[in-house]
Amino acid sequence: MNGMERLNAALNGTPADRIPIFCNLLDQGAQELGVSIREYYSNGELVATGQLLMREKYGYDNLWSLFYVGREAELFGSRSTIFADDGPPNVGELVIKTLHDIDRLEPPVPLMDHPLFAEERKCLSILRSEAGGRYPICAYITSTMTLPVLLMGMGSWFSLLLSGPDEPRQRLLEICHRFFVEEVKAYREGGADIILYSNPFGSTDFVPAHFFQEHSLPWIRKDIEAIGTSGVVYYCGSARMNDVIDTVIRETGIGAYYLSPLDDTGEGKRIIGDRALCCDVVNDIPMIDWTPEKVRQEVRSIIEAGKPGGRFLFGTLVMPFRIPAENIRALMEAAIRFGSWE
Amino acid sequence: MESIETYLNLYHEAIIDTDRDRALRIIATAREAGVKPEEILSGILIPSINRFMNELLVNPASLAQHFIGSQIANEIVDQMIPLFTSSPEMTGRIVIGTPVGDFHGLGKKIVSGYLRANFIDVVDLGLNISPERFVIAAIESGAEVIGISSMMVHTARGENGPLGVRRVLRERGLEGKIRLVVGGVPYRFDRELYLKVGADAWGEDASAAVAVVTEQIREARKR
Repeated sequence: MNGMERLNAALNGTPADRIPIFCNLLDQGAQELGVSIREYYSNGELVATGQLLMREKYGYDNLWSLFYVGREAELFGSRSTIFADDGPPNVGELVIKTLHDIDRLEPPVPLMDHPLFAEERKCLSILRSEAGGRYPICAYITSTMTLPVLLMGMGSWFSLLLSGPDEPRQRLLEICHRFFVEEVKAYREGGADIILYSNPFGSTDFVPAHFFQEHSLPWIRKDIEAIGTSGVVYYCGSARMNDVIDTVIRETGIGAYYLSPLDDTGEGKRIIGDRALCCDVVNDIPMIDWTPEKVRQEVRSIIEAGKPGGRFLFGTLVMPFRIPAENIRALMEAAIRFGSWE
Repeated sequence: MESIETYLNLYHEAIIDTDRDRALRIIATAREAGVKPEEILSGILIPSINRFMNELLVNPASLAQHFIGSQIANEIVDQMIPLFTSSPEMTGRIVIGTPVGDFHGLGKKIVSGYLRANFIDVVDLGLNISPERFVIAAIESGAEVIGISSMMVHTARGENGPLGVRRVLRERGLEGKIRLVVGGVPYRFDRELYLKVGADAWGEDASAAVAVVTEQIREARKR
């Protein structure tokens, strides 16, 4: 079976050789190709090649079209990105420095033919021609309510979101929603099968429950009504989601949930039931120091908690650059062994 | 005048509701009713932060609640301390910042508000701070503690992060006299990481950071 067949089997609750395994080795693609992280992300062909090579090397089931999260800020006009030698790039210039900047902010639409999207387009095109239909191509899309963080910084966004004023907040959210819809459309047209809907503001680790109900949820509904649920995966970054899964399923019908390592797998699986796909992730941040045996134990424990009854996917969180290759191999061996149905 | 406990309950409720304006109105009402500036801090702000700390394991506050709580704490501290009948005795001083390559400043901002409300002087160095600058700032300001907030794994673990500060402290013979505290997302997901990067302690969240920093100030003063 290939990755797409395994994913579809898990989504539909039909037989497969094993559970699907999703892995995000992003910056590692640069290392694989022997180029700097800056050079790697400057060229969609390099990103596509790196991702295809990493998937071949380790044997997981998905492909990433994501460059780095700050790319969305660049699409809005941020002129500075700060690159590291051993980790993901940072947004170096916030496009909204004062609330007046929101008056002048325009989303880069249409996106598909926008010059700033050219490298993503190239990357998607290569992934689609090389592996389309066989391995799900994943796109990482920041939700309407979370996107302002990349444009004005977390503190300024929290301040505007929680305390106003109303007019610029509403205008900014409308702009971000327009961009969000356009971005999903562009990625789907380019060949993305999976839309990882990234929304830390849809977690009660970020906002209190009442705020989630009154503010986050209406924007989640609006986002999902605009793009449909096809291939959409609900994701809150590393923040927990067990508290909100039931509401999100009932209100939006999203069919897959990518838990935090801080969520209880068994509880997440019980809440989701047979209504959607439960994706649980290994806490890969300490994996830099683990022994391969420790990696196997952790993977086994997650899969044993989530696999019974099917409709389960095993995934990774951030996969830091410095994780040794032998630990990545141990992760894959264990996920294949313990995730097997045969 | 309502009891201080009543104002505390109303204030904490407003913070839980992330209602900044209501929280500020409650402080203003308490002042108008005759609550002293010293009591605003000791009877309302500090116990509210402590409630978050006490509930950390059972019902942790959201980031938004900490954001509002800290923002108001900063504002009220600036308003109240000049009105104290005598200058408050400060617990100690911390220099705080993010390491080289890390441009995420929210964590240290929230921690700073809580520390200031607890009479700890905060020297905020900002973002992207080199190990040498952390140490020099601590020496120059007489700080007992250096606090480093990291959002990303590579900035938490890199040679220009806490590891670098530890190296500079060692080279200058300042280990023990200046304590090193860390916090941020990578430490929540790897609870032994603070040891691997050479820190003396870490704080699970902003409310926990108050107790951690206070303890480290005490340790530094023993030397």
